[in-house]
Amino acid sequence: MTEPFHRMLVYLDGSEASVTASMAAIVLCKRLEAQLTAIYVVNTRALQDLVKARIFLDVEEREYRRDIEGDADRYLRHVQRLGRQKGVEVLTVKSSGTVHTEVRNHIMENKVDLLVLGGISQIHSRRDELLSETDRMMRTAPCPVLVVRENDTIWDMFETMPDMEAGGQ
Amino acid sequence: MTFTDVLDKDLIKVPLEHSTKNAIIEELVDVLASKRGKSHREEILRAVLDREALGSTGLADSIAIPHAKTAAVDKVAVVVGISRLPVDFNAQDGKLSQFFFLVIAPEKEASAHIEVLASIARATSSPAFRRLLQSARSADEVMRLFLD
Repeated sequence: MTEPFHRMLVYLDGSEASVTASMAAIVLCKRLEAQLTAIYVVNTRALQDLVKARIFLDVEEREYRRDIEGDADRYLRHVQRLGRQKGVEVLTVKSSGTVHTEVRNHIMENKVDLLVLGGISQIHSRRDELLSETDRMMRTAPCPVLVVRENDTIWDMFETMPDMEAGGQ
Repeated sequence: MTFTDVLDKDLIKVPLEHSTKNAIIEELVDVLASKRGKSHREEILRAVLDREALGSTGLADSIAIPHAKTAAVDKVAVVVGISRLPVDFNAQDGKLSQFFFLVIAPEKEASAHIEVLASIARATSSPAFRRLLQSARSADEVMRLFLD
């Protein structure tokens, strides 16, 4: 029987939930021998909106962009390390723009067959403008979506999987 | 993350008691300090006033979004305040301000911070919604308006 998923994409945004989702994705990719890519999108759309609305000064926009670029590099490296630890190669993509659009484009261009997301909003508003980027991704992704609720089970699953770097290969 | 993820009834004050810019900022910071601990009150207030010194966060349409990042908090927090009477907040359109959103974020959560700020801007962009907000008389009513 062929495995159901071959190319997974996990979305990172610096939240603990997105790191937990990455751990779940690593476990799944290991079991299914699938390819894993982690994507971090620098939300330049939101930054531009804040400058346009004059909530941010130009100097703030530059400072926040620099901070987020740094976060992106740091979190992508972290997930790569987690993957190496378990013998899973994690490809990384740093992108910028409107988050859910960038993710959707990456899915279509790379034939991703499973998107893995951290927790979605706990509080739901009917108003579209109050949807989080994660909610938007879940609604607009052109492939199946796995939402990983933050809980200890994922950490246990990850921790009990044998390490490769420690000589378990 | 969006504004509604951090919306907390205990961090909503309607109506605000003060009527000058700095007093309102202090009042909003006090609401946060009374919920999250008073030990970092001065640090938070300094960060907000330092940001305000660079340029007013009083925007158009009676909205003001004073904000800052500081190591004094460990997660993004938003305090909502509505003034019964419009207040001079040195708004960019020269008009008076009535709806205040104090946004305080940890230094390491830039992405969450901008998402929350952007979602407040989107949520308050509707004139009809601002009219409803203006008529809110309690924290419960404000919560309902945002979560409806």
